[in-house]
Amino acid sequence: MGKQKSSYKTALDGLHHYLSRYLPLSKAEFQLLLPYLEIREYDKKVKVTREGEVERYFNIVARGLVRKYLSVRGGEQTIQLAVEGHIIHSELSFFYRTPSNSVVETIEPTVFLSISYDSLEQLYEQFPRIERLGRLIVTDLFVKKDLHYFDQLRKSTRERFLDYIRTHSHMLQRVPQKYLASYLNIKPETFSRLKHLIQQKKG
Amino acid sequence: MRQIGRLTPGFFLCLYPNLFRMLDALRQYISGFVSLTNEEFASLADMLVIRSFEKKELLIREGEVENYLNFLVKGLARKYFYKDKAEIITQIAREGELINSSASFLSGTPSPYLVETIEPSTFLSITRQQLEKLYENSPRIERLGRIAITHLFLQREEWEHECLRLDTRERFLHFVQNNPDLMQRVPQKFLASYLNMKPETFSRLKHLLQRPRATVREK
Repeated sequence: MGKQKSSYKTALDGLHHYLSRYLPLSKAEFQLLLPYLEIREYDKKVKVTREGEVERYFNIVARGLVRKYLSVRGGEQTIQLAVEGHIIHSELSFFYRTPSNSVVETIEPTVFLSISYDSLEQLYEQFPRIERLGRLIVTDLFVKKDLHYFDQLRKSTRERFLDYIRTHSHMLQRVPQKYLASYLNIKPETFSRLKHLIQQKKG
Repeated sequence: MRQIGRLTPGFFLCLYPNLFRMLDALRQYISGFVSLTNEEFASLADMLVIRSFEKKELLIREGEVENYLNFLVKGLARKYFYKDKAEIITQIAREGELINSSASFLSGTPSPYLVETIEPSTFLSITRQQLEKLYENSPRIERLGRIAITHLFLQREEWEHECLRLDTRERFLHFVQNNPDLMQRVPQKFLASYLNMKPETFSRLKHLLQRPRATVREK
């Protein structure tokens, strides 16, 4: 139990640090947020949000590994992979309050720091600084998304693969290859072949 | 490009008799996100400039930093980038919509995109500096900013989902159903680029659409 408590403390410190990158928050200000946060724990391979369900939470990964996918023609298309410090939830469903067409599922056992839709609205109502924080975070998310989208359109499969490997080598160790291939929109065979190429180069 | 200064002086009403209608259109757009008081809306309107462009005029070039957020009151514009020498269109905007090099505007980094008018166009624009001032002075305008950017994010997310879920033909049909007006106004090669398909494929699909329905169903 003691160990778990200290890991929550680490997660909360991490969150404070993460938020302060956007807008400096004093300890007292950060404390104001705590009553609105929920800690949610899941085993590996558990569906956190199902298709057709309305997303209730905004989640920050405190520990673990999570993916989001769409069902496409009988298969699963991975659209996001999230590790510690990342935000993952079914955004369209959360903001528009409509049934989710994507699934959020854990890959490893995962702990989320979550905030419900209603709590988030209350926070925005009560604290103008949180409104600003929200604007700055969503701005950053959008800018990153735009960059990612631009890369998808501009780069070849091979370039996308190489870029990803260069910038996300830690993911290669943790994420099953089929999910990575799906995320990069590459056939699993192509993924293996490209990976092999890199290993040859190193040798 | 013809740029008229700030909107407040009544003098500009002679130049732009449609000014009230333009501001109404903007207010209508904003009311989809938050409701502003008359004072709040006036403080925003005070910061706007009217910008008019001929057709095929550039609002921003590749490599420049986007300084404007533009609300299109009349006309048609597109956003694109060059992949080798081909233009890849990522947005087509019509009346009542926003267009700019959004990530560059929000981050202050050079734009990989160009924004260009398709038809002669008029915009209500605001600079980044003026918008920041508004955010400082009004929490509700800050909220408007947060919600509008969230929508940009969600639109992009939705588009990505569509591209993954729908095949070429489905994407075409979905677009036609939702944008019959653009089918009339926008050159076919632009629409094909926006939908990420070859112009030939676009023509073939359009042809299918024009045949009697029963024939389409056979496919």
